[in-house]
Amino acid sequence: MLRNVFKAGIVIICAFLLHNTAFAADVVELPQEELATESVLPVFDKSVSVKNRNIVTAKRWDADIFYSYAMTEPIANVSKLGVAFYYNFNEDHALGFLYAKNFAGLSSYANQLNSQYNLDFSRAPQPLASYMLDYNIKAFYGKMSLTKSLVLNTLLYGSASAGMIQYEHKTYPAIALGLGQKFFFNRNWALRFDLRLYANQAPIPFLGNNQLKPTTQPPPTFDQFQERVTYTTTLDAGLSYLF
Amino acid sequence: MRKLLLLLISTSLIMPLASSAQPGKKSLKQAPKRTASAGAGNSRESQLKFQLSNALRQAQSGQYEAAANSLFSLARRPELASERAQIKYILGTMLMELKLYQTAAFQFVDVIRMNHPKYSKQAIEKLSIVADSLGDDTILNYAISRVDVTDIPPNQKDMINFRLGEIKLRNREYAKAQDLFNRVGPGSSYYFQALFNKGLAEMEANQPAIAVGTYNKMLDARRKAPVTDPNRVEAQLALARALYQKQDWEAAIEAYSQVPRDTVMWHDAVFEQSWAMLRAARFRSALSNFQTLHSAYYEDFYMPESLLLRSIVYLYICKYDEMEKVLGLFEKTYGPVRTKIGDFLKSSGEPTMYYNEVEKAYSMKNSDKTAALRLPYIVLKNVLDQGDVKRSIHYLEKLAQEKARVESNYAFKASSLGQYSLKIIANRSKNTKLAIGEMVKAHLQNMRVELRDLYEQAGFIRYEMINGRKESIKKKIAGKDIGDGQIDEKIDRQFYIQNGYQYYPFQGEYWLDEVGNYHYLGKQSCE
Repeated sequence: MLRNVFKAGIVIICAFLLHNTAFAADVVELPQEELATESVLPVFDKSVSVKNRNIVTAKRWDADIFYSYAMTEPIANVSKLGVAFYYNFNEDHALGFLYAKNFAGLSSYANQLNSQYNLDFSRAPQPLASYMLDYNIKAFYGKMSLTKSLVLNTLLYGSASAGMIQYEHKTYPAIALGLGQKFFFNRNWALRFDLRLYANQAPIPFLGNNQLKPTTQPPPTFDQFQERVTYTTTLDAGLSYLF
Repeated sequence: MRKLLLLLISTSLIMPLASSAQPGKKSLKQAPKRTASAGAGNSRESQLKFQLSNALRQAQSGQYEAAANSLFSLARRPELASERAQIKYILGTMLMELKLYQTAAFQFVDVIRMNHPKYSKQAIEKLSIVADSLGDDTILNYAISRVDVTDIPPNQKDMINFRLGEIKLRNREYAKAQDLFNRVGPGSSYYFQALFNKGLAEMEANQPAIAVGTYNKMLDARRKAPVTDPNRVEAQLALARALYQKQDWEAAIEAYSQVPRDTVMWHDAVFEQSWAMLRAARFRSALSNFQTLHSAYYEDFYMPESLLLRSIVYLYICKYDEMEKVLGLFEKTYGPVRTKIGDFLKSSGEPTMYYNEVEKAYSMKNSDKTAALRLPYIVLKNVLDQGDVKRSIHYLEKLAQEKARVESNYAFKASSLGQYSLKIIANRSKNTKLAIGEMVKAHLQNMRVELRDLYEQAGFIRYEMINGRKESIKKKIAGKDIGDGQIDEKIDRQFYIQNGYQYYPFQGEYWLDEVGNYHYLGKQSCE
């Protein structure tokens, strides 16, 4: 349900940003002959895309708080809350540490399986938290005009992380690759969105021999669960403050 | 070239034979007095003649380097003094083939000085070609000033007329310059430059209407060229300037706006267009341009005048606070510049020091190198963009290329001709650097004078600002002032979007694709 809402939201935002009205042009108030007629760029000895940037990140810290939604997690609770701290070495590179705490409980899908097939997935080991070192390469600084008086600066970056995912019984190494975008609504505050693909060793929550049935006693021990490399896609949305 | 060489060499081979066939002027009585040494001298002379004909054969067969080396040593032999002009002339042509233009130029200059009835004229023609490719004004003027146009072959006439026209233009003989530029034919590679300079001469002679015609003709001739073709753009900018001089402001504004943005001339066009806009009382348009010109992209540009112009526009629309900001910026930016120029000029009169300073800036301009400069970079960049300095630096680069050409050929470098070439290049480089130093000094002195005048004007403008402010306060007290407003207050953004434009407020940062697209939306504050 939540996933569908999210998808719909994305579609609506894209449509809003990309729509192009197709009705006849009106007379523009500014002098016609002074309006841009060419899309070429002026020539300078040393061409740079932007000067006097509004958002200067070089040699500055930023702190983030975010909500993380595991889009491909079938059993464990899909929600996490996290904090992150980054140091921006320059306008291109940043390195940070992020910690995300998993919500307790199970996903709606796991609850559904429980009600239909009487499978209690709370007997399987649950993820508790993630600890990651996150490197960001800030590829594109830009801006987006939304209204006549509002301009948002944007920052598109790639991320590569390495760290650990902590389960109830064990901690597993993990890596993640991702893509993120920040929308600055002033010189310090920004909305931050990250899409990450995690790869980590994790216990398989599915266990045979009716071990997941609540009636089966004693409950299975965590070492009975097999392990394999698991891929999880997460979407993080949060607030970022640039110090 | 090969045909010419063949002809030249064949005549030179015939000439010594013909001259030896002439009856000798010495009497037969003197014959017995000949000593053994004279006989030895004769054999040495014939040996030298053999070497000479051998060198000419090498030249004929395309062995330019070997021929040049032989001719160079033969040119120094006193026994061949009568053939020296011919030898040096052929040596010059060999060096031209080897693309050693500076060394070749020296041979031709020697031949010209010898006043040889045949070779001096040919040497002048060759020297003109060499000097033209080197871009060295000194040699060019030397050659051109000695040219008799009637002796020049038809294929060189256009170049000679063009260069002569340039000299006349420099000497402010505008009518003669126009006439000479007119003689350059449409088929010549100098045609467009000649048209351009003709228009320049017409403008200097205060004939802007005729200049407009000349530049329109130049534009028509380049209609099929790409939009950013330098000749086409130069013509467009020159047309705009001619229209400005003609005081046809609207046409000038239109012509300036036709200068393509992705050319180096565009920056000048924007600034000059602002002047035309001010003269046409299009204040908002002028301020739109200033937003571009005073953006961070132009922090390396020396434009003190533009700041004062902007403050004058603000004065016209009674924006005194903005005016104060701009005047403050002018003083903050150009005060230290003025001081540093003054200190630098006082510190030394040595041209070398001026050259070294400009050389450092040149390396910064063309690479990411940083250097410790005593003068502000904006000043040095402006000096580097001056025509005479630019030309001389281009000539220095040509010399450096020639030096590299000599040094890359180890055998040639080790030869006496190679060493001679390097000596000439080193000497020319040294003298050119001194000349550049003098030019830089002259430009700095001009800038100092200009800044002094501009500071004086800034004082007057400030006085007007205070006066205007006083009146404005009076009106405010009387409740007659006009509040701040914007012309787009009642216009919906969608209005622009539907016309295919993006539309957003300026928030302090400058983007390359925005430069040139700013629009000042403020209203005038005068009652």
